[in-house]
Formats: sequence, structure tokens, C-alpha cells
Amino acid sequence: MSTLSAVSISIQRRFGRQRLRKILLGSIPFLVMIGVWHANTVFEWLPPVFIPSIGDVWEAIFFLQEDCAGFMPLIMLDNSCLMSTHVLSSVGRVILAAIIGLPFGIAFGILAGMNRTVSKFLEPVGVFANSISGIAWIPLAIVWFGVGWVTTLFIMLNTIFWLMFFNSMLGVRSVARVYEQSVLTMGGSRWDVIRQVYLPGAMPSIITGMRMSMGFGWRALIAAEMIGGDSGLGFMIFTSAAEFKIEEVFLGVIVIAIIFMATDRYLLAPLEKWTVERWGLVWKPT
Amino acid sequence: MQKKSNVSSLTQPRQITAFDRFMWQFNQLLKIDAMNLVILVVVILIGWSIISESIPNPARYLPSPMAVVLSSVDMMVKGLLPSYFSDTLTRLVIGSAIGLAAGIPFGLLLGLNRTVADMFHPMMNFFQSVSGIAIFPIVVIWYGNSDMTVLVVILYTSFFPIAFNVLSGVREIPIRYVNAARTLGASRYQVMKDVLFPGAMPHIATGSRLSIGFAWRAVIAGEMLAGRQGLGWMIFTGQDTDSTAEVILGMVMIGLTWIILDHYLLRPIEADTIERWGLVQR
Repeated sequence: MSTLSAVSISIQRRFGRQRLRKILLGSIPFLVMIGVWHANTVFEWLPPVFIPSIGDVWEAIFFLQEDCAGFMPLIMLDNSCLMSTHVLSSVGRVILAAIIGLPFGIAFGILAGMNRTVSKFLEPVGVFANSISGIAWIPLAIVWFGVGWVTTLFIMLNTIFWLMFFNSMLGVRSVARVYEQSVLTMGGSRWDVIRQVYLPGAMPSIITGMRMSMGFGWRALIAAEMIGGDSGLGFMIFTSAAEFKIEEVFLGVIVIAIIFMATDRYLLAPLEKWTVERWGLVWKPT
Repeated sequence: MQKKSNVSSLTQPRQITAFDRFMWQFNQLLKIDAMNLVILVVVILIGWSIISESIPNPARYLPSPMAVVLSSVDMMVKGLLPSYFSDTLTRLVIGSAIGLAAGIPFGLLLGLNRTVADMFHPMMNFFQSVSGIAIFPIVVIWYGNSDMTVLVVILYTSFFPIAFNVLSGVREIPIRYVNAARTLGASRYQVMKDVLFPGAMPHIATGSRLSIGFAWRAVIAGEMLAGRQGLGWMIFTGQDTDSTAEVILGMVMIGLTWIILDHYLLRPIEADTIERWGLVQR
């Protein structure tokens, strides 16, 4: 008993009492859900064609990775390592789209935020492009680029760029004019204004936009892979559904959710919190 | 001498040229917003026509604006465009109405008890992050390529964001408000009606807009994937049958519909709600 309480005290010290309570409480619905899922396989309320057993879903990973010949084919996205190939190509596209799309979106957004004339012309275009949700571009992208890597990348870039553009523009606009004028008065150049005033001032808005655009982009990417892709998790679940391999579909959906939640929770949300704490509380002249 | 000329150039206005006058008039024109928009549209249309003239096989890759207008006239005459449009809108309205009607009470109910709210928060977050499009293949196996599939996907996409937002909103209400109402003898229902619902109002407004936005995307994607008639289906088959003019027409329709819906209906409602209910003293 004393060891048990010692363990519980050490766990409480490690995580913190409130956090531990939240983790334990939060895991209950998931455990219940898994229990119901398992009960379903045992009692067959719904046939396994509709809801696979947990074991089948777990086996599906090894089934898809069965022919994998080692580490090199896995990295080279060989067709024999299906699971890792699909995961890596989806994640690769997300990273590539983020590397290309985010800086361009931020740059154009800052430009539009600084210059009234530019924003007058780019803003309506942005409103319209944002309204044609990424998914609606898929057919046109297929016509232009064919089915494959480029189409999916285009859809994701399109979604990321316009959201990023909007958020940076709004962020720059929210910066008080006084700062810009004071930097200019003290002999700063345009570049100084951008670097010292606009970028830090718009930072909270930019990071929020980053988080939002990754969320929308990931959704758009899955849809794009389903309709116009030849690899990736979206493609995997769609083709598996066509072959009625429901365990692979469940596996794909769970992996999609986990990847998205992990990036959002452990990368983007802390980044957002840190930025808001670091740059967010700028004094605003009244 | 040099200095003097410098001073005079500063104090005396420069000769106004015809170019200056033209630029001034041009700038005056730019100041009118509608004019601005017209210029933008005209420039885009001209650029679009030039590109479409200069590439090989424009009918496949980028039909001219004229071709798009002609195809819209053609589809209007056949009655296809209004029918697709109404199909899509009906799906959106039914799906998001049921989703919101179920999601708001669900979020409030979970929020009644702080422990329950903490319990379900991670799970709702999980389901909110699994996009409706990702569960589409599962739903297709369950219901086949039917209207039911599209409806279920829309319901799923609109239900979880709103329920999650309401739950987050309820969790942010200071617990002493609930306690105060309870101390004064309020029933569970009264707590819900007089404390939780008004307190979560800004989150309900934001969540509704988010839900309807996700649902709109889900409608388009669902129609494409499940092959049910509507705007999404129109652009998808347009690509299959090589009539790119129809694809572009559909995209323009989708964009315009969402602009009208979002900017003239949802955003004003959200802004009004936040203004009315948002400034609760914390």
C-alpha cells in the first residue's frame, strides 16, 4: 500500500495534480469507446464488414508493410512498403507545401498590409480564392497537372497561401501606425520598418494563420489525394474502401487523426501560445 | 546659388503636367470601392482571355470567359444549373441545420457538469480534428453511393465543430456564476437556460460559422466522391467529360455562393452576437 501511494505521489509530482486529473478523465471516453468497439466484435451487433475488429486493424499495419525489404526502400517510398510510403508522402507534401506556401503567403500578406493600393486589388482576389474552398480546385487541377503529386501539392498550396495571406494582412493592419512613423522618423529604412515593426506586430496573427492554414490544408490534402492523387493516406483509404478492406480504412483514418492532432497539439499550439505571450501584448496607443 | 534653387523647388509647386492631372483623376477613381472592383474584374477577364488565346487547346486547359458564359447560358436553358444549385444548397441547409440543432444542446448538456465537460473535451477535440472527408470512405462502405452518405458526412462535419466550440465556451464560464444561480435555487434547466446558454453565445456564433464552413466544403467533396448531383458533381463530371468551361463555371458559382453566405449572412450574425453577448464581465 505504501509503495502504491508513493508511486501515485511521484506520478502526481511528475504531471501535476490538475493535469493528471485531466489526462485520466479525458482517457475515460476513449477507453469506453474502445471497449464498445471490442464488444461489437465479440457480440457482432454490426458485422465485421462494417466495423472491423481492433486486432484486424492492428494486423493491417503489418499486412501493408509485409513486403518491405528494409530501411532503404522505406525511405525511397518503395511501393512494397505501402503503409510507410503513404504516410511519408502525405507528410512530405505537407512539409513541402508549408515550406513553399507559408513564406509566400506571409510576404504577400505583409505587402498587401503595408500598401493600400496593392491590398485594394489583392484583397477581393483573396476573398474570392478563399471562398472557392481548396476542394473545388481539384477538377481544374487534374485537368492542368494530371492525377498525381503536383495536383495534390497545388491544392494544399492554394489553401495555405490564401489563408496565410489574409491573416498576415490583417495582422499588419492591426499594428499601430505610430510605430512605423517613429521608426521612419528616426531614420529607419522601409526594410527596418518591415523587420522591426510589421513582422513582430503581425506575429500573433501570422502564427494563428499558420495553425489555421495547416488545419484546412491537411483536410484539403486528404480530399485531394482521394480524388486526384496516386499516393498518400487519402489515396490509401479511398482505394481500400473501393476494395472493401474496411480495416485498412479504419487504420488510415486513425493515422490521419493522430498525425494531425500531434502536429497541432505539440507543434503549432505551443508555438501559438509562445508567440502570443512573447509578441502579443504590445501596447496600443489609444 | 545652388542652395537658393533648392529652396525655391521646395516652396514653389512644380508645374502640373497632363500626366499629373491624369494620375490624380485615376487616383480619384480608385478611391471608389465599386470602381476598384470593376477595374479588377476587367483586368482579370482580359488577362484570362489573353492567356486562353495564347495556349494550345484552350477548350481543354483554360476556356475563355466567353466560353464559360456561353456554357452557363446553355446550362440555364437546359435547367441543369438551377437544379444542381438547389440540390447543393438543400443538402447544405438540411445537413447543417440538423448538425447545429443537435450539436448546440449536446455541447450544453456536456457542459452542465464540469467533470463531464473535462472528460469529453479531448474526445470531442479528437473527432473535430478527424475531418468529415477522411471518414468518407467508411461511410461509403456503410451506406454506398447514396444521398445518405453525403448527408452523414455533412452531419458529421457540422456536428463536431459546433459541439466542441460550445463545450469550450461552457468551460470558460466562471464556475461561480453557475454556483450563484444554484445557490439562489435554480434548477438544472434554469442554469442551462440563464447561465450556460448566454455565456456560450459568442462561441456558439463562432462555432456555427465554422461548422457551416466545414459543411460547405464537405458538401462539395461529398458530391464529387459519392457522385450525387450538385455543384461538386458538376465540376467533377465536367473534368471527366473534358468540358472545362463547366468546371470553371461551377467554381465561380461555389465561390460566389460562399461569399454571399459568409459575408452577408454569417459574419454579420456572428459580429452582432459577439457584440450583444460577448462582453460578459469575467
